[in-house]
This record gives sequence, structure tokens and C-alpha cells, in this order.
Amino acid sequence: MIDPIEQFHIEKLFTIGHIGNQEIAFTNSSAYMFGSVALITLLMVGAGKRLVPGRIQSVAEIAYEFVANTIRSNAGKDGMKFFPLVFTIFMLLAVSNMVGVIPYSFTIASHIIVTAALAFLVFFTVLIYGFYKNGLKFFKLFVPSGIPIFILPLVVFIEIFSFFLRPVSHSVRLFANMLAGHIALAVFASFIPLLAGLGIAGYFGAVLPLGMVMALTALELLVAFLQAYVFTILTVIYINDAIHPGH
Amino acid sequence: MAMGFRLSSELIAGVGVGALMGWGFDRLLSTSPFGLIVFVLVGFSAGVLNVIRSAGVAPDKTGR
Repeated sequence: MIDPIEQFHIEKLFTIGHIGNQEIAFTNSSAYMFGSVALITLLMVGAGKRLVPGRIQSVAEIAYEFVANTIRSNAGKDGMKFFPLVFTIFMLLAVSNMVGVIPYSFTIASHIIVTAALAFLVFFTVLIYGFYKNGLKFFKLFVPSGIPIFILPLVVFIEIFSFFLRPVSHSVRLFANMLAGHIALAVFASFIPLLAGLGIAGYFGAVLPLGMVMALTALELLVAFLQAYVFTILTVIYINDAIHPGH
Repeated sequence: MAMGFRLSSELIAGVGVGALMGWGFDRLLSTSPFGLIVFVLVGFSAGVLNVIRSAGVAPDKTGR
């Protein structure tokens, strides 16, 4: 029986050094991160600057326009200050998720520590920039207008609570989607050799899970892009709160 | 399916974090079980608030 969890194993490739007794290792996860960054660099640097764009330049320009339009429509012109951060997050997640759909490869977003680190990066960016830009007016985010004074403390408490929930749901959504999709793929793929082992009738039966795996791979390709986009658009919405906290 | 995952993860995060905070609160101040009761309820309402907001049913903030 094939182990569906095995694809998520972290393996040490070589050791970089030690901090105290903790070993700092270069793992397969780090290797895939560097690989994704190399692919993005190749795409953006290799695009060229011709007036009539070629294939690679078109992809690079569409990626730029896509993220820039998302920021402009959700956070306004001021949001373009954060374009480098948002574009980095979108490209890293989109490319690494796409690479993860390839069989036998590793998906870095299937580990919650990776998505949690990204979500906390966004959370603290919003918190620090919000206080830097607006000062104490940032607290208006927690006080909706037009609420009777009697229930205001409760409402403010719930608003603060929901603000601190953001990094949790932000990171768990991406992580759970990637994990669930890849486990489903592995489970259906493991049915193929099991059925094929049954003999001549099994060969015909094995066609069914094979078709399912092909359909799921197509679905995973969609989910990989969609979840990168959802992560990006939520990042932009949260940054919009830091820029315009008044309601 | 992506939408369903989005909304359910909002609600689960709300209740989960609320339960975790209530449990920690009780452990620190030994007020068991009242911290858990209060924080689960607050977490549930914050989760429902987030679900309503991200589904786009209600306007972004009340009173507008």
C-alpha cells in the first residue's frame, strides 16, 4: 500500500550550521523554494523589453497587470506602495503550487509553517504600517459607526477578536486546500496498482481511478492558481484596512 | 468548492481560536469553566461575522 502522507516528508539535504544545539538544515522544502524563485527570476528577467512582446514577455506582462489591477481595484492608488510585497507573495505561491502539481514533486504550501509565516508577515505589515500611517486613528477599525453605546463594548471585543483571527484563517485555508488535494490525488493513484494487481479484470477496473486521477490533476491545477489568488486578494484587502481604517 | 472551503475555514478558525484562548485563560487564572464558555461564544460570533463579511452578504461594516 502506498502511503499518501509520504509526499509531505521533509528530508535533510545538507547542513548549513548550528544555532545553539539546533541544527539549521537545507531541506527539500528549501530546495523547492529556491527553485520557484529561480523560475520566477527566469520569467521576469528573461522577458526582455521588446515593443511587440514574445511569449515569455506576454506572460510576465499579464502577471504584472493582473496583480496591479487587483491592488488598484481593492486598495486604490495608495495600495500600489505595497505592490512589491503583494507581487512577491502571489508569484511565489502561484509558481510553487504549480510546481507542486507535477508528480513526485514537493508542495511547499502543504506545510502550515510556511503559510503561517506568510500570513504573519502580512498581519504584522498591516499592524505596523497601520499605526505608522494613522497613529491612534487605526483603532477606528475596531469601532463600527452607528452602534448603540450599550452594546458597543461587546461589539468592539468581537471586532478585535475577529482581527486576530485573520492570520489563522488566512494561513489554514491555503494549507488545508493544498494538503487535502494532494492526499486525494495520492489515494486515488494508489488504487491503480492495487486494482491492476488483480489480473485481467483488474486492468479494466484500473481505468476508473486513472481517469479520476487525471480529472483531479486538472482540478488541482485550478485550485493551485485559485488559492494563490485568494491568498493575494485577502492580503490586499487587509492592507486596505491599514491604509483606510475609517468606516 | 473553493468558496465553501473559504467560508468553513473562517468559522472553524473562529471557534477553534476561541476555544484555545478560553482554555489557556482558564489554565492561567483557574476560572474553569467560565473562560471557555465566554471565549467559545465570542469566537463563534467573530467567526460568523467573518463568514458574513467574506460572503459579501452584509456591507463591509455595519452602519453603512
